[in-house]
Amino acid sequence: MTTIRRFCCDDLLRFAPVNFDHLTETFNMSFYMTYLARWPDYFHVAEAPGGRIMGYIMGKVEGQGESWHGHVTAVTVASEYRRQQLAKKLMNMLEDISDKMDKAYFVDLFVRASNMPAIKMYEKLGYVIYRRVLRYYSGEEDGLDMRKALSRDVKKKSIIPLKRPVTPDELEYD
Amino acid sequence: MASKYGLAGGIPERRVRPIWDAIDSRQYKNALKLCVGLLAKHPNSPYALALKALILERMGKPDEAMSVCLNAKDLLYSSTAVHVDDLTLSTLQIVFQRLDRLDLATSCYEHACAKYPNNLEIMMGLFNCYVREYSYVKQQQIAIKMYKIVGEERFLLWAVCSIQLQAISSNGGDKLLPLAEGLLKKHIASHSLHEPEALHIYISILEQQGKYETALEVISGNLGSLIGIEVDKLRIQGRLLARARDFAAGAEKFQRVLELCSDDWDAFLNYLGCLLEDDINWSKASVTDQIKLSNSVDFQNCKLSTLTEEVFNFRLSTALSFVQNLQMKGYNDCVRCPYLATIEIERRRRLNGKADDFKLMEVLLNYFNRFGHLSCFTSDVESSLHILTSDERNELLEAFGKSSESSSTISTKAIGSAITIFKIQELFDCASCFPVTDLETIAMKMVDMYCKSLYLSRELDPQENMHGEELLSTVCNVLVHLFWRTRCLSYLLVAILVLEFGSNIRRYVWQYKILLLHLYSHFGALPLSYEWYGTLDVKNILLETVSHHILPQMLRSPLWSETADLLKEYIKFMDDYFNEAADLTFLAYRHRNYSKVIEFVQFKERLQHSYQYLMARMDASILQMKQKTDKLEDVEFILENVKHGLQFLELSNEAELKLLAFNEDFQTRPWWSPTSSINYLLETFEEGTAHRREQKHQVDMRECVARKAIEWKSLLPRLVYLSIQVASSFLKENIELNGSVSDIDYTSEFKCLLERYARNLGLSFEDATEAIVGISEGKKSFKEYDLEMVHLINFAVFVNAFNLCTHHLEPGVGHQQSSWHIVNSLVEKCISEELMHAQPIFTSPGNNLPILVDLVTESISWHILVIQSCLRSMIPSGKKKKKPSATDQLNLPQLQPVHASIQCLTNSIQDVQTWLEGQVNKPEDESLDTLLSHLQSGDTEQGPYQICRILEETATESNPELGERISGALQCWNSANVIRKLVAAQHRSVTEFHCMCASKLRLLESFKQLI
Repeated sequence: MTTIRRFCCDDLLRFAPVNFDHLTETFNMSFYMTYLARWPDYFHVAEAPGGRIMGYIMGKVEGQGESWHGHVTAVTVASEYRRQQLAKKLMNMLEDISDKMDKAYFVDLFVRASNMPAIKMYEKLGYVIYRRVLRYYSGEEDGLDMRKALSRDVKKKSIIPLKRPVTPDELEYD
Repeated sequence: MASKYGLAGGIPERRVRPIWDAIDSRQYKNALKLCVGLLAKHPNSPYALALKALILERMGKPDEAMSVCLNAKDLLYSSTAVHVDDLTLSTLQIVFQRLDRLDLATSCYEHACAKYPNNLEIMMGLFNCYVREYSYVKQQQIAIKMYKIVGEERFLLWAVCSIQLQAISSNGGDKLLPLAEGLLKKHIASHSLHEPEALHIYISILEQQGKYETALEVISGNLGSLIGIEVDKLRIQGRLLARARDFAAGAEKFQRVLELCSDDWDAFLNYLGCLLEDDINWSKASVTDQIKLSNSVDFQNCKLSTLTEEVFNFRLSTALSFVQNLQMKGYNDCVRCPYLATIEIERRRRLNGKADDFKLMEVLLNYFNRFGHLSCFTSDVESSLHILTSDERNELLEAFGKSSESSSTISTKAIGSAITIFKIQELFDCASCFPVTDLETIAMKMVDMYCKSLYLSRELDPQENMHGEELLSTVCNVLVHLFWRTRCLSYLLVAILVLEFGSNIRRYVWQYKILLLHLYSHFGALPLSYEWYGTLDVKNILLETVSHHILPQMLRSPLWSETADLLKEYIKFMDDYFNEAADLTFLAYRHRNYSKVIEFVQFKERLQHSYQYLMARMDASILQMKQKTDKLEDVEFILENVKHGLQFLELSNEAELKLLAFNEDFQTRPWWSPTSSINYLLETFEEGTAHRREQKHQVDMRECVARKAIEWKSLLPRLVYLSIQVASSFLKENIELNGSVSDIDYTSEFKCLLERYARNLGLSFEDATEAIVGISEGKKSFKEYDLEMVHLINFAVFVNAFNLCTHHLEPGVGHQQSSWHIVNSLVEKCISEELMHAQPIFTSPGNNLPILVDLVTESISWHILVIQSCLRSMIPSGKKKKKPSATDQLNLPQLQPVHASIQCLTNSIQDVQTWLEGQVNKPEDESLDTLLSHLQSGDTEQGPYQICRILEETATESNPELGERISGALQCWNSANVIRKLVAAQHRSVTEFHCMCASKLRLLESFKQLI
């Protein structure tokens, strides 16, 4: 049961039970607020009856030419609301906005190479591993760049996997 | 910044680039060298000077940076020949901002705007300056100017937002909003609108004026196409229709939303609200609610419907058949809204007194059968459960029980349903009525279930939640309840063991961490609480919302270094945010997300008025003072930094207190401590039960208590300052402070603050004085006053200092010496009373260590400062040691009371010290054995023993079904180690406090050497 709406600043004061999750990063204020100021349509929160925060997704749209794409920066669900396909709903929403409103070619995201549950979930949602990014996380752990093509990328060119891994310096965007 | 090259002030880019490169790579010395070279060639370039200032500021030379900046500014102003561009201005702006002189940056831009009236770039820079200064009127004026020059929609919206902000901050919406509406209307007529956000702002302005029909016309017309997502448009239309009281049309819109998004609970509530024509709470719908694009209509929930019974029933039937239709569409089990909707419909029916009581129970049971295994079941139905009678609650639990029993063996679903039943029992506070043995059985059953279900999680990744994880939190709640009821220590110890056991298997369960944090804190093992708090990785905005789990306890502990770190990190986070908040607002302007502009400004204000932030700033200074009481000069220096205590009095004025924002998130606190000022475990079971029922009331009361606490705390530094000042003139005939200020000024202020302090305690000055005199003479006791002792003793300390300067005696106080005597007597009585009841910390959770810490580190410390100040005034400056020639001089009769006070404080602290020594010197193994004996001895049939047995058996039996990871974790389990860590943490707390007392004794001894 989900009311999905745009994330607002006051939600920052209520998302502790979601962010206590050890894999959910609590960023600094300028990070959240830059996303809110620039891409408010890519920052959504799911609310349960009674107003508790179930989870949220934050992302952005960027790139040029055929690299114009939606990006999932974070998606997280409170432990109480897991195993209900909420992350899927939030992801679908972001994909929809990238596809229909911003006419992007694909959506991408980065995930820790060790985070198997997340990788499996993204695969179920139609994402493929596009490339491996060496030591992406704090210079230690590798990241996987996963992508899902949108309707504008008719030939699904954007998701043809790269043969070799890349380093963080080679990434086109931060 | 390096990307902003170009011809700046006529300087070629190739000359500037290396300087920016050096700055970007933090090679400031090199940058400065290059910049000096640049200035040699372009001595009159404001840009080169601005660069130099920027480098100097980064090098930590603010004064030099300011001076260079001012030179650049003078150049900009003086010479008409000097080229001015945005790069120069923005570089200067950066430095001025970092030097906290936004006004100078603004005036540079204002000057440049006057010089180049139509330069859009500079005008935007000036707009940004006004955003930083929160000057909404000036923002509006410059935005209108830009709009007039280029006619762009965005500048008009900048102006409109500035008008909105004025309306919000001044409550002057009546005149301002029509102005904003007029501007937009005119623009739309000639240019239409092109940004969805512009449309949202337009609608919000109409809505704030109650012009719902106009807003509906706008959104349903051509402009409506700007809203790209159909359901978003429907939601806005539904909201506007409901607000315009066109309920039938509103219901239709929300029905459409539900057809498209069948799980949208908010849409269902709005749909039902429209059908039942619920009253709409207009006045409470804040401007931000509307601007945030909220879809909620704010129906005054659950008010008696004004519809006739027939219409009411018909409408509910309509709703029911609609949601049943949604159910028939056969969504998967992840769509709960159409099912929960049937419960809500029955709830409404009952609230209107038109209930078929059986029906509500039936739909609840249906919902349980379908979703009872989900972790969120209880919170989904919570509001409906609250309206059940006690008999119905029992009946429902029984029905749930039967339903879940029928579902075969252990499976993830069965565990989920069982957990739900335990959680509902908790919600109904069943523990208060169940016999102890029943509760023990429930706890054992849950632990057993947890252990037996471990194998279900064997395939799970350690990152994933395990099945049945919640069982242990619920067991802990039951065990803590049992401890509360019986005061039997073993329950508390087992609660800790159970959670540690779970954390040992999967260390990421934050619910366990928070419970452990509070349990250890109650057990006097604050270092361990702090450690668990650390594992929560609380940072950034979480510092504002969840520091309450640890900060209040730390502030009353001897762990000063950790407490100072917590305060420092929190204050730094807040200050950093305030510094960048306006720039982030400007970012929203630039990206045309106008609704965010308003939201950002209001959010910044909310944080700026944060209760915790205000408290933390005061606490940080007070903590510094406590840490430095050994050296009067250091305390004076700390006070000087807070305007001799006046800063906090200004911050806590009445207007500020009205605006206070309480941002703490209490939903994760344990049941026994719903707010930081409540701990039921410190009360007896019966008392606490009564309180628990009024939990919400307690949370509301907290804000009242918090305001008082702020006022009380804000008085402290100033009172300490005044006490030090007047004490320094103790022996002088004609008191002259600092050579210029007469004591008369201090006297009236001092008296006034003492009156406020007394009022804050709920007493008049006279009554408070009477209280301290009465207690000191043994005619009254501390218990007669429902006050913290430390507050009353602080009052006595300050009254004593006040008496030193007034040289006249307050009515009832007796003569001058007696005010010293009052302090001595109160300290003595209080400490001896506390020590009389003091139990060893190792075996007495919730002991009085915090009270003793408060007494020694606050009341006694403030009094020591008064004594130090007296002594300093008698010893020529710079004289550290007593010289023979000074002996006679210092052997004055007036010193007798000071001497007596020193002796009294020494005796009292020595008593505390002796009590502490008994514990500090006790071998840790001995304490460990004592605690372990609570788990090992006694009736083996009893719950605590049985639970320990289940844990130990699970840990030792090798069960191949559990998989490698879980088995490995179980092998590492050692309950004695857990208790050993607990004892070590308790020991550290006591040792730290012991050191503090020793340091105070050394100080007092040094005073004795002087007189």
